[in-house]
Parts: sequence; C-alpha cells; structure tokens
Amino acid sequence: MANVLDLRRRIRSVKNTRQITKAMKMVSAAKLRRSQERALAARPYARMITSVLESLVRRVDLFDEKTGNLVHPLFITRPEKRILLVVISGDKGFAGAFNANILKTTYRFIQGNPDKEIDIEAVGRKGRDQLRRRYPVASYVDQSNQEGRPTQWRDARKGPVEISGDHPGLLVNLETSRVEDLAHSIIARYVHEEIDAAYIVYNEFKSVIAQRLVIEKLLPLIEVGKQQIAGAVEPTEEEKERRAEAALSAGIEIEPADTTEAEEEAEKFGTANVDYIYEQPPEELFAGLLPQYIFAMLYHAMTESVAAEHAARMTAMDSATNNASDMIDDLTLHMNRVRQAAITKEIIEIVSGAAAL
Amino acid sequence: MAEDTNKLRVRLVTPERTLFEQPADAVELPSKSGYMEVLYGHAPLLAELGAGDVTVHGAATEGAGPTTRYNVSWGFVEVLPDRVTILANDALKPEEIDVPRAERQREHGEELWKQAGESEEAYTEALRVISEAEAKIASASEAAQSH
Repeated sequence: MANVLDLRRRIRSVKNTRQITKAMKMVSAAKLRRSQERALAARPYARMITSVLESLVRRVDLFDEKTGNLVHPLFITRPEKRILLVVISGDKGFAGAFNANILKTTYRFIQGNPDKEIDIEAVGRKGRDQLRRRYPVASYVDQSNQEGRPTQWRDARKGPVEISGDHPGLLVNLETSRVEDLAHSIIARYVHEEIDAAYIVYNEFKSVIAQRLVIEKLLPLIEVGKQQIAGAVEPTEEEKERRAEAALSAGIEIEPADTTEAEEEAEKFGTANVDYIYEQPPEELFAGLLPQYIFAMLYHAMTESVAAEHAARMTAMDSATNNASDMIDDLTLHMNRVRQAAITKEIIEIVSGAAAL
Repeated sequence: MAEDTNKLRVRLVTPERTLFEQPADAVELPSKSGYMEVLYGHAPLLAELGAGDVTVHGAATEGAGPTTRYNVSWGFVEVLPDRVTILANDALKPEEIDVPRAERQREHGEELWKQAGESEEAYTEALRVISEAEAKIASASEAAQSH
C-alpha cells in the first residue's frame, strides 16, 4: 500500500499538470478567437469572387457551341487517373484526435482509390511528418536544357502514392502570397495534364460546435459556387456537447458574430441586373477570375482548418483539465483513507499495549 | 440625404479582410489597360485590375486628408452608378511598402525575363513580377516626396 508521502507527491504532480493544461486551454481559446475573426474577415472576398463568376457564367456566352461545355481548361473533365490530394492538418499536437482524424480520412481515401496515382501536398507539420513515414517523397532533378535554362524533371514514381510537396509553416501566418503560389502550381499541373483531379482534405469550421471533416473536390470545376463534397465525417452528438462545454468554460461565444448582412451585400457583387461594360473581353475576365476562385477556396479551407485546430485543442485541453481534477479528487480521498488507516492502526497498537499491561 | 446621394460607396476588399469602406467623391483605378477615374453615376463596368495605385478622393475619413491612396496588385473591380467595389489580390498603404523587397522583386523579375527564352508564359509571368515591383516602388517614392 502506498504511503501518505507518495500520494501527496502524486497529487502535487497532477496539480501541476492541471495548471499546464488549463493554461494551454486559455491560450487556444485566445487563438481560436483570433483565427475565427480571420476566417470571418476572409469571407466577403470569397463570396464576391464566387458571385461575380456565377453571374459571368450566366450572362456571357462562354460555352463551346459543339460540346456545350464551358470554354476553359479548368472545366474539362478527364477520367481520373492521377489525383492530387491537398491534406491540411495541424502544425502542433495536443489537439485530441484532430490530426489523427485527418490522416484516417486521407488513408481511407487512398485505399478507396487503389488503381490511381496519387500525389499528396501536405500542409501542416503533423500531417506531413506522418505521411512521410508512410509514403515516398517525390524527387526532382535540376537539369539545364540546351539553352542553359534550369528546368526540373520529376524522377520516376517510387510508388502509386507520392508526396509531391510540403509547405511547412504555411499555416502559422497564412500569407496570401504563399497560398496563391500553391493555387497557381495546382492549376498549372492541371492545365498541363499532370493531374486529372484535385481534392482537398480539411476540417470545416462553421462554428465552435459545427465542424466536420470534408474531402472537397477542387478541380475540375463542375459548377461555380457549389461545394463539391466527396466525403464528410460529421461529429457525434457527444463530441458536439463536449465542444460546447469547453467553449462555455473558456468564455467563447458558441455562435459566431452575425455576418449575414455583410454576406448578403457581398453576394450582390457583380450580379446587379444591368448590362455591364466589360473593360476586357469577358473571356479574359473569366480566365483571370478562375485562378482567384481556386485560391479563395484554398485560402478558405486553410483559415477554417486553423480555427478548427484551435477549437479541437481547446476541447482536448478542457477534457484534460477535467480529468486532472477528477484524478486529484480520487487521490486525495485515497490519501485520507491511508492516513486514517495508519492512525487507527497506531491507536489499536497503543490500546492493545495498554490492555496487556 | 441630399449631399450623400452624390457620393460613391467605395469598398476595397482583399482576401484577408475588408480594408476600406467609405463614401467618397471619386476613385482612380489602375485597370489592366490603363488608369481610369470613376465618378458618381458611372455606367456599370467590370474590369480587371493591374498593378498600381487606387486613389480615393474626398473620402470621409477623419484626419486622412483629401485623398487616400492604396497600392494594389491585381484584382477586379465592379463599378455601379453609386457603388465601387474593388477586389484586390493584395493592397498596401504606400507607407507600408517594403522598398528593398520591391527592388529585389524587380531584380528577380528581370532575371525571369532573361531566362524566359521562347516561352510566352514565362514572359507574361516575368512582366507581371516586374510591373508589380515597379508600381510598388513608384508608389512608395511618391509617398516619400509628398511628406
């Protein structure tokens, strides 16, 4: 049986842990608030790009007369043989099952497409580290061609699934220029037929409670302004409850600020019922807007994922703090019992000693 | 109301946030095919933006002076008779421009230009980089002069 001193030491150590998890929870709550604001601030732009594209599609003749398809390389659908998968995970651990769930969904997607070649772009450190252990990293050779210009050649594939690029630290500041570069590289690969489709795996963040893991189709575009969800994992009721509890104790509003007015306003962008003068030919405008649309989708996914990560960490740390409190209660009870038993034993010894005299 | 009706509602939106939202008298815009000025009652127009300065005249900001300038690079603009919405890929105040960085960007662009060879795509990309850098430098130096 453990003695009182040992128990006291354990209680102290659990108390220290509780202090740390509590602090981490508060830090995550503050970060969540900030990333939530950022996600909201990014919405008008995304909405506007979408609505102006929608209205351009409606009013301008952008369809091919023969096939009836939209005249743009990003709308061309090919049989999916090579797929690009953008996996957005977290940069740090201690976020409950956040990263594990993203990876699980990714693996399931890969297993569901066994006969295809899949390239992975890993965003977020945790996911990258895990995926690297499992799949080979694509290697490139720098070569100069006849004119002496450097060009990159990709080596032969090492397996059906390869990691074609990673982006460490992208989520820390979420600089738009880097997200834009990624969007342009994805578009270039699609246009040059290096890939036939692009998907993105990320955590959608509607509010603290309403989050889900989705696989969204990025390319080819079928219809502008419509999310193409290829798969989603909804949270269970229990999970939702836990999240609401954690948010409440950290002082976070469960429903985000009301932005319907601003969003309605944004939806009107470029859709007024008038004949616009087009400064450039509409086809050119359209071609210029599409990459921005892809970029906005990617940026949106990343801001949401960052908010979801902080929310997940906050929930996990709240649970850890509660567990630590429970453990301290148990240990204190146990310690008191042990102490009582020791005292009782001593009294019995004294009493029986006195009786023997 | 009588005064307000002759004002344009100007909005400048970037992917990160809404930077500017105010009534103003006039806006100068760097469209891809040249600068243009928009006054109240302009015909509806959609245009692609290049790199350059957006100048807002007569904005109702306190202490901002008669004009407010932003350096924008690429984007789109929607003009309606009483409303101008600018969707910029990137927008900076002239004071915020990092001149040494813009200089480096221009050098990088010139490097790209030299390497472009026969590829039209590479030339366009190089031109993009150079014009963006030059617009930034010009905007920053103008801001420095006016102070």
